[in-house]
Amino acid sequence: MPKRLLSFLLPFSLLSWLLLLLSALSHSGAGQWLGDWPQWTTQLTQGAFVLSVFLYYRYQPSPLQGQAFVKLLRRLLLGPGLLALGCVALHLVERLAKDEPIFNSNSLLFTSIYTLNLGLFVIFLARTNYAWRALVLFRSSSRLQREWTVFEVLLGATLLFRLVGVNPPNYIGIPIVVLLGLYGIYLSGHQKWVAYLSQRDKWNAVLLQAGLLFGVLVFVQYFRVTQADPQLIAPRPQYAFLLLTAFFSTFYALMGLLVTFFNMPIADIIEQRRNEILRLQRLTQIIQRGQTSAEVYNILLESAVQTVHAEAAWLDLDPGHAGADVAETSFYYNLVPDQASVLRGLLKGHELAEGEFITNDLNLRPGFGNRPQAFRSLLQLPLRGLHYNYGILHLLKVEPHTFDREDLNILQTFTSQAVLSIENLELVRTSLENQRTQEELKIASQVQDSLIPKNLPTDNWFEISSHSLAAKEVGGDFYDFLHLPGRRLAVIIGDVSGKGVTAAFHMAQMKGIFHSLMQENPLAKTERDKFPVPSRFMTQANTALSHCLEKSSFITSSLYIIDYEQGGFVFARAGHCHTLYYHALREEVFYFESTGLGLGIIRNETYEKHIKNQFYDYSPGDVMVIYTDGIVEARGEGGAEYGEDRLKLRLEETYYQDAEDIKAFILKDLNAFTQGYPIHDDQTLLVIKFKSAQPPL
Amino acid sequence: MKVTAQPSADTLTLILDGELDASSAIVLDTELAKPDILEYRKVLVDCAKLSYISSAGLGVFISHLQRFQDAHVKLVFFNMQEKVFNVFEILGLDALMTIVPSATEAEAA
Repeated sequence: MPKRLLSFLLPFSLLSWLLLLLSALSHSGAGQWLGDWPQWTTQLTQGAFVLSVFLYYRYQPSPLQGQAFVKLLRRLLLGPGLLALGCVALHLVERLAKDEPIFNSNSLLFTSIYTLNLGLFVIFLARTNYAWRALVLFRSSSRLQREWTVFEVLLGATLLFRLVGVNPPNYIGIPIVVLLGLYGIYLSGHQKWVAYLSQRDKWNAVLLQAGLLFGVLVFVQYFRVTQADPQLIAPRPQYAFLLLTAFFSTFYALMGLLVTFFNMPIADIIEQRRNEILRLQRLTQIIQRGQTSAEVYNILLESAVQTVHAEAAWLDLDPGHAGADVAETSFYYNLVPDQASVLRGLLKGHELAEGEFITNDLNLRPGFGNRPQAFRSLLQLPLRGLHYNYGILHLLKVEPHTFDREDLNILQTFTSQAVLSIENLELVRTSLENQRTQEELKIASQVQDSLIPKNLPTDNWFEISSHSLAAKEVGGDFYDFLHLPGRRLAVIIGDVSGKGVTAAFHMAQMKGIFHSLMQENPLAKTERDKFPVPSRFMTQANTALSHCLEKSSFITSSLYIIDYEQGGFVFARAGHCHTLYYHALREEVFYFESTGLGLGIIRNETYEKHIKNQFYDYSPGDVMVIYTDGIVEARGEGGAEYGEDRLKLRLEETYYQDAEDIKAFILKDLNAFTQGYPIHDDQTLLVIKFKSAQPPL
Repeated sequence: MKVTAQPSADTLTLILDGELDASSAIVLDTELAKPDILEYRKVLVDCAKLSYISSAGLGVFISHLQRFQDAHVKLVFFNMQEKVFNVFEILGLDALMTIVPSATEAEAA
């Protein structure tokens, strides 16, 4: 319906009512000044008035907002209900004024009031009718909506008959009206909205509907009385449309009242179910709000008590799995801890400490007779997690036989939801802790990185290139350099057994030992004795380590002291990987074969016997490759190891290149070999190339 | 990794089968840490099926070495694969421990 037409309906209904009034006055003889109006004007104006009022209300926005049923009923009662009151008041005024001489001579007042009341009645019916439409169609199927439309069309048709003044004979009219009435009864059966009322609202609804019925009765009574009045000349309300709508309005209100009333006993259960869902929702939402385990347990206890209407309850938590943020391990409801411990003791004594069960009458259980408490019904339910029970919930009631299977099932839903929340909270906390550990490891990794020399020694008689890679955040490999007086350079490489943080600690220790032992000895007689030779260094390092190294840990290491002036070096190998060497004059690549025991294996003076110095003279062009076992034991396809032979071959191919290029070539080959396989040990590689002190001119 | 212990009169033979790495080292450590192992005169370790030994594996033997020496229990390795022997050798353990080629020599040792 166009909006313009809608705004036109209200003035139109007012106009038609005024015309109706005039027409009625004309016929009643109260308004002879109006002249003699034809008979049909009353029917027509009345029909037009009813039509426009009904259409107006039909196209108003639905009076039902959301599920505010009570609000709708209240507004209906305060609106049309007050109209009814007005109607009665008018009637009384009319009755009182009847004996006054001015009014007695004509029925002006009587007719006016009657017409006014008729208008009020029509408005009342229209409003009620469309309020009922909103209720009938609440959450309805499209079929019901169609059925309602049919009802409206049929009612409209009866009105149309009236409008055009056709009065079908009784044998056709009455069955049609009866059938329509039955249709109205059928529609009155749709009282779905009643189920959505809360307990309190139901009482309100019953009272409001009773009020409405009273309103209808006032109107009906009025019309019945006035109908018998000899003064009444026109227009009668008893025609099909008004009759039917009045009948429908009344019947729907009556049905609604009855349905609501008889719904009361089961409303409890519906309410209870709704509350269960709400409590479950609350429990679920706690996880999202990131609350504590203690809160979850509290809400579980509270919800459980309310759901099964327990009179007392307590919750025992397993101290091992209660969650880190739970201070106490027992929660009580309406029960002092002493009472709970009496029952706890009895349950334990009867091997009922675990599992779920209902005891209908504790008095009948042997051994439970001498309890200080009056509780007779007990429900016990463990909080089952994936791996273990978090605790046990106990609910108590004074009356015997008050818990049933159903209660247990509902509570199980609650406990599993609670356990889920607890486990989620636990998960969040663990992941946070992991994150922190990761952060700390990152810092450790940075600290360790600072222990590895960044600036390699440079001079014109050698080139050094280095590479190191830890299998985890921190590793046990290390290397270091130290310039000694007399144009000497100490180079150390080492590998702590094991990986990770423990190895990293020992690696840092070893670095400290290296720097403290390679100090000048002021008591030394000769210049050469001022610094320990490698074997002496290893023996001292072994002694130093024997106090701090774990029993099953050991360190392998090689120390080289390169003497540029002499053009030679001395080294000791303490169980470390063999040194790979390219001899430029002989054009030969080989491994130094030497013996030497790892550090920390023998933790006494006898270690000295197991370590030897080896002296070697180098010539320009010689290449020394120093590495840890992470290189030669790197695994490739089928678990094969990279191996010393393959490393040797790579040096044979690249000995003539710069130290940096040799290193890069070896690493490229190593990466190709281990492609797609995880590193399982720390890797360190040093390449030292000796050169002529002065580049040849 | 599987460790099988075969006791006889005064000798305990431990048969190692598989890879001896950080995770399996615990199994071997439990075996060697038993107090009654020191009542034997000799502990023979059959390495025929030992395919790999990590530093953690070596650490187990090293940590019990002193204890065995103090109790005068002889620790003898035999049937060792070359790859495994290399690991012992590089670390210098061959000079510290008795490693023999076969069972007969192990029993004679």
